[in-house]
Amino acid sequence: MTELMQYLQNLLGVAWLPVWTLVKILVIVVPIMLTVAYLTLAERKVIGYMQVRIGPNRVGYFGLLQPLADGLKLLMKEIIVPSGSNRFLFVSAPILALMPALAAWAVVPFDDGMVLADVNAGLLYILAMTSLGVYGIIIAGWASNSKYAFLGSLRSAAQIVSYEIPMGFGLVCVLMVSQSMNLGDIVLGQSGSAGLLGWYFIPLFPIFVVYFISGVAETNRAPFDMAEGESEIVAGFHVEYSGMAFALFFLAEYANMILIAILTAIMFLGGWLPPFDIAPFNLLPGIFWLLAKTSFMLFLFLWFRATFPRYRYDQLMRLGWKVFIPLTLVWLVIVGAWMQTPYWLW
Amino acid sequence: MEKIANFFKSFLLVELLKGMALTGRHFFARKITVQFPEEKTPQGYRFRGLHALRRYANGEERCIGCKLCEAVCPAMAIHIETEERSDNTRRTTRYDIDLVKCIFCGLCEEACPVDAIVETRILEYHGENRSDLYYTKPMLLAVGAKYEEQIAKDKASDAKYR
Amino acid sequence: MLMSFETLVFYMFAVITVFASLRVITARNPVHAALFLVLAFCTAAGVWMLLEAEFLAITLVLVYVGAVMVLFLFVVMMLDINLEQLREGFWRWFPFGALLAIIMVFQMIWVLGNRQTAETGAQVIKHAANYSNTKELGRLIYTDYVYAFELAAVLLLVAIVAAIALTLRRRKDARSQEPDKQILVKKADRLRIVSVVVENKENKSQ
Repeated sequence: MTELMQYLQNLLGVAWLPVWTLVKILVIVVPIMLTVAYLTLAERKVIGYMQVRIGPNRVGYFGLLQPLADGLKLLMKEIIVPSGSNRFLFVSAPILALMPALAAWAVVPFDDGMVLADVNAGLLYILAMTSLGVYGIIIAGWASNSKYAFLGSLRSAAQIVSYEIPMGFGLVCVLMVSQSMNLGDIVLGQSGSAGLLGWYFIPLFPIFVVYFISGVAETNRAPFDMAEGESEIVAGFHVEYSGMAFALFFLAEYANMILIAILTAIMFLGGWLPPFDIAPFNLLPGIFWLLAKTSFMLFLFLWFRATFPRYRYDQLMRLGWKVFIPLTLVWLVIVGAWMQTPYWLW
Repeated sequence: MEKIANFFKSFLLVELLKGMALTGRHFFARKITVQFPEEKTPQGYRFRGLHALRRYANGEERCIGCKLCEAVCPAMAIHIETEERSDNTRRTTRYDIDLVKCIFCGLCEEACPVDAIVETRILEYHGENRSDLYYTKPMLLAVGAKYEEQIAKDKASDAKYR
Repeated sequence: MLMSFETLVFYMFAVITVFASLRVITARNPVHAALFLVLAFCTAAGVWMLLEAEFLAITLVLVYVGAVMVLFLFVVMMLDINLEQLREGFWRWFPFGALLAIIMVFQMIWVLGNRQTAETGAQVIKHAANYSNTKELGRLIYTDYVYAFELAAVLLLVAIVAAIALTLRRRKDARSQEPDKQILVKKADRLRIVSVVVENKENKSQ
């Protein structure tokens, strides 16, 4: 393996670094895209099961080829650009939506040292990237030249900007506790002999809950999916989109979901650390634990969607500004004070 | 006191967790989906599906062209033209049902004095354009010929309620 | 002379920033102008990143691009702008605007062309990989510049309070709902079940 790498390095010379980085990016992005595809199937299956149905099961065994069929269908469809729309912005909006959702993965560590870019300001970078996702939506709504799309994008933009604040405060708490903005160091800060008790979700439990719920709101998922609001504004910001352009929005939404899930796993649930540092648990590779935790958080996304009715818009804003932000601020002070006492164990 | 209880109730998300427990239980419940082409829901003998025109056992068509069905049809889906046949009986030359208009109320079946027009249990017919769903007399007679056995049996089971 | 990769990246960012800034003031559609401003912010963040100021660069993206510009776009998109009307007063205000621009150019030259600032700014100090710009910034803010920082914080707080005080008005006729009270309502509070005595026995039997 190392010999092969050495050989390739000599062969490519200066081009080695870009090529090798590109390979690493592909190794991250291709599984994400596959996960996104199968997350759509998992969503339909889970929601079906919770509604005492069985979900898709016709295309392939257990419906396993369904995502491919859906993708193929969307690929074959025509992309219709509305006549009154701004062509350039209309086409670039889905790309703008997907790009930050994928770019954020650059700093996500999958195991000890298994990370594309080990930057010190990882946490800030994540926050900045997730806040950029709103542009795809806002531009899509405006460029479509449709009032439904515009209303959807306004709702979504206000929602994302509002819920970024509790998320940001949540990250500040994590930052205070771990004393680092490097996601790898945050996970390592949760390691120790106590196993599961050393993870940050215990001292930061309210923050953990607020962060995850804000994450659900940030990704415009049910019960906070007013941006789409099928029953009121037909499909919100992507009502005018068809074919692959629509598929890109879909990919962006699900990639964001996976991102929020894996970030919650990394920051609050100990990332790649096993729950108990004893024989059967710590023999499994770290990435298995990370993916197990991520899958659990993703399951929660689907569970929420199957359970809760959609929020009303004013209630959503009230929850964000009047409940979550004060709650996170209070807990920020509590944690700050707690960390100065000898009772701080983390 | 109640206020404090409510405060904790809302902050501990008790009601949300209850809701999630309910859906969580249903996740493991037995599924009630009917896998359509392989499994079918039971049908009653009064099921109202695709129409058919019947014949007597000797091959004579039952329809006498009284146009009662045409008159009673609330969707005006039936169109009938009649003339006198060589044996001085009145017979239809045209008997068309537009299945796109039909609402499957079964009134034509009720109105028919000779049990000529009936609705069968067939529900899986299709057409690739609108004209495919415009059933003419030969088509209706063909349906009747094909499913006569089933139709007769259903009529017999319903007879005692009439 | 061969440019180093870093210089190349700097010039790329610089050219895009200048182009985007020019388009901000020349674009006819205000939404396009706002989007070009977003582009300018992003590339400016890239330039800051080259100066190893990653905290400031990311904060620029986070605050200006992620929040401020979103609200800007929000307002601009909802305005019903008549471009003809906007361009009417152009020549009347042109001398004033030109004067302002010239003053600003001279100020920039004065600051940037000053030997003192030019000397310190010319050399970017390279740091080791484990150097954290964020930590350094935090240390400086909470030690050397703590008074200035606290003053800025108080100023912002005053601004927040003032903004809320200016816009908050309690309307007595507004019938807004209070969801926290709504969800506490119980059946017993509103519904009273009375047993009605039925007088006519014949009706009862029916």
